[in-house]
Amino acid sequence: MSRRAPPGARTGAAGSGSTSSSALAAINTEDMCPVCKTIRYLNKDMEFLINPECYHSMCSNCVNRLFNDGPNQCPYAGCHRTLRRKGFRSAFFGDLAVEREVDIRRRVAAVFNQAEDDFETLRDYNNYLQMVEDLTFDLVSGTDAQRRAAEATLQQWEAEHKADIERNRKAGREADEQSRRRLAAEREAARLRRIEALREAEEEKRERARSREEELDSLAHGEAGAAGGAQRVQLKKRGQAVASRAVEAAVKTDVAAADVGRLSIRGLKEKKKAPPPEGPYDPFGGLDFVPSRYKLRPELTHPGIEKYKVDPAHITGGYNFDEYTARAMFEAFAGLGVFIEDEKEVGIGLSAGDVATMSAGIAAVGDNKMELA
Amino acid sequence: MAVSPLVAPTSDAAQPSQFARPTSSPFKRQASAVPSSNGNGTPRYPPHARPPAPDAAAVALDPIEQLNEDEKRKYVKGKKLGEGTYANVYLGHVRHDPATLVAIKKIKVQQQYLDGMAPDAVRELKYLRELCHPNIISLLSVFSSKDQNLNLVLEYLPLGDLEMLIRDVDRVRYGAGDIKAWMGMLARAVWFCHDNHVLHRDIKPNNLLIAADGDVKLADFGLARSFADPGRRMTANVITRWYRPPELLFGARHYGGAVDVWSVGMVFAELIIRAPFLAGNTEVEQIALICKQIGTPTEDCWPGVSQLREYTVPADVVPVWGKEAYMGRFGAVGPDGVDLLVRTVALDPKKRITAREMLEHRWWRTDPKPTRKEDLPRKSAGGEEKMGADLKRRNGTVDSDSNNRGAKVARKLDFGQAK
Repeated sequence: MSRRAPPGARTGAAGSGSTSSSALAAINTEDMCPVCKTIRYLNKDMEFLINPECYHSMCSNCVNRLFNDGPNQCPYAGCHRTLRRKGFRSAFFGDLAVEREVDIRRRVAAVFNQAEDDFETLRDYNNYLQMVEDLTFDLVSGTDAQRRAAEATLQQWEAEHKADIERNRKAGREADEQSRRRLAAEREAARLRRIEALREAEEEKRERARSREEELDSLAHGEAGAAGGAQRVQLKKRGQAVASRAVEAAVKTDVAAADVGRLSIRGLKEKKKAPPPEGPYDPFGGLDFVPSRYKLRPELTHPGIEKYKVDPAHITGGYNFDEYTARAMFEAFAGLGVFIEDEKEVGIGLSAGDVATMSAGIAAVGDNKMELA
Repeated sequence: MAVSPLVAPTSDAAQPSQFARPTSSPFKRQASAVPSSNGNGTPRYPPHARPPAPDAAAVALDPIEQLNEDEKRKYVKGKKLGEGTYANVYLGHVRHDPATLVAIKKIKVQQQYLDGMAPDAVRELKYLRELCHPNIISLLSVFSSKDQNLNLVLEYLPLGDLEMLIRDVDRVRYGAGDIKAWMGMLARAVWFCHDNHVLHRDIKPNNLLIAADGDVKLADFGLARSFADPGRRMTANVITRWYRPPELLFGARHYGGAVDVWSVGMVFAELIIRAPFLAGNTEVEQIALICKQIGTPTEDCWPGVSQLREYTVPADVVPVWGKEAYMGRFGAVGPDGVDLLVRTVALDPKKRITAREMLEHRWWRTDPKPTRKEDLPRKSAGGEEKMGADLKRRNGTVDSDSNNRGAKVARKLDFGQAK
């Protein structure tokens, strides 16, 4: 569907055009009906309407004239869409491309209205959002083929998941309702607070006037100023008490208002699984490094290390010859039973994606390694 | 684009080897500090060789660069979690899955070691690549970025470290079951290291990071090494002082897994009393504290000890305390727990319990049961920065006195941060 720059578009074309024709261009793009060529000068109340079928805009007079007698073809040259009177409305956005995109998005959102709670993991949800966004993009600015494909997908999905969509819509409406109610409650609370505050202020003012009068009176009667001061202090205190009470009340209403919102149980997931039965604690964490191919005997030795076994520096420092023999034996047997070809095959199966599950695997692999040794 | 000194294994056959390492010995590939990709014959620059000048502007990357580039592209580096003299730590995520977070530890080029990689970085790499265990921080990948910077991709542990929990007396409460669970994980990690012939040599609450699911993970292998052959001398200058065993304080050059076990015992004691058990400001003071709190090492309880190079103890000999002496202070873990503690802090390394024996101890089977890791106490805030702070630290102690004071100050600052 080929669209011209809509008359309402404030794309800056007027500004960027040559200076001599800029005034004319402004009139042209903004205020002339592309169908009947009427300009605003002639019709002050000219209103442009569009039809979401093709988003070609025309003035309301043209719409009345052309479509009052039932469906008719779009008057734009080359646009052969059949439009109805009913479909026309005034555009919300000046840029009709935006208008169209918003319409499409609204439509897609009405169909793909799953919430995050419907998904197992955040990742799934994100993937879903990505898919929806891709589809929307195809619809908005894809080629014809892409648009058709996307349209087909959309319709198919709508047909297949009618019940789900309806349910989600209802849920969404409920949530909207909730938030609306909460907002209303908050606004109401705020209004009450304001009234209260006004009343307080009024009260205070009156109080102040009265105390001043009293003071003047007392001065006139020549009484000691101390009494008046004390009273004033008292009055002030009372004012504070009233104020603090008001704050408390406001907080309470706030809490109550929040409670209204909290009543909803949406998103509440009862996913408590019974913990797996715990076995006895295994200090070794399931690992065992006892060599399977040979046995370590404590008296194992080698002529090369005999002299160190009697060396006081080694003995006193806690050098452990068993550790040495264990390592020597381990290294001697290390390569046996390892077949690089097999490992390669195993290796291909592992990908970088396994990083996440790695720690779980480590124990098993570590075990494996030692068994091979 | 310079040639990387590193060959990070990528894709197909090389890929699994970094996670699941079914190949025989963990020491198979130890000869080169840099793990090659399964020995498939890719040429490799020795770590100390400077790469050729980057003249060709990487028109065609050679295979090694390509591998490195691929590996680098797998991760997206995010905000900086911490900066230290030794390394910067960044938060990152896997490129194709933003939900999988990683910590990228970018090791700074150090002036001292311009011609190669810093030894602590090499150590960390070498051993972390070999050890795969749920209670040991896993190294997911290694790549070099521009300027030959070494980047270690580590698993992301958001909940801080054990020290944070120990220090926050006001807000974190834990009981015997929790201590048992943490100690169980620590002992398991140490046992795993030792059974794979690796000495950690820097065990302390600071290096015990906590994963999102509550697992304790042993981190910071910058001082690790494999068990030495008989006759090979090792440095005695390892392990943070408070956690250093007497044989190292006395300058022993031939030692074994017992040094790590002492540190585990110190961590155990610290978990119970929620303060460092033996916090000496100097090595002399540390020895004095050990003599006072545990007993003076003498020829009676530790034959040959007086022959050690730096053997000096305070004049007044304190007999080695029995189990009863500990009951008052450490009774919270029950008599069996105290028994285990006493065995881990035996002065003579030969008499000290081994990591395996620790796990076989009856304490694990007595009540209360170790808390399930999901139910362990945790702190939600500040963990991220804490991991940044923990990873960027220079490993262990480097022992000139001034350095130590610096380390101590940093420590203090850390406490403030944790609160």
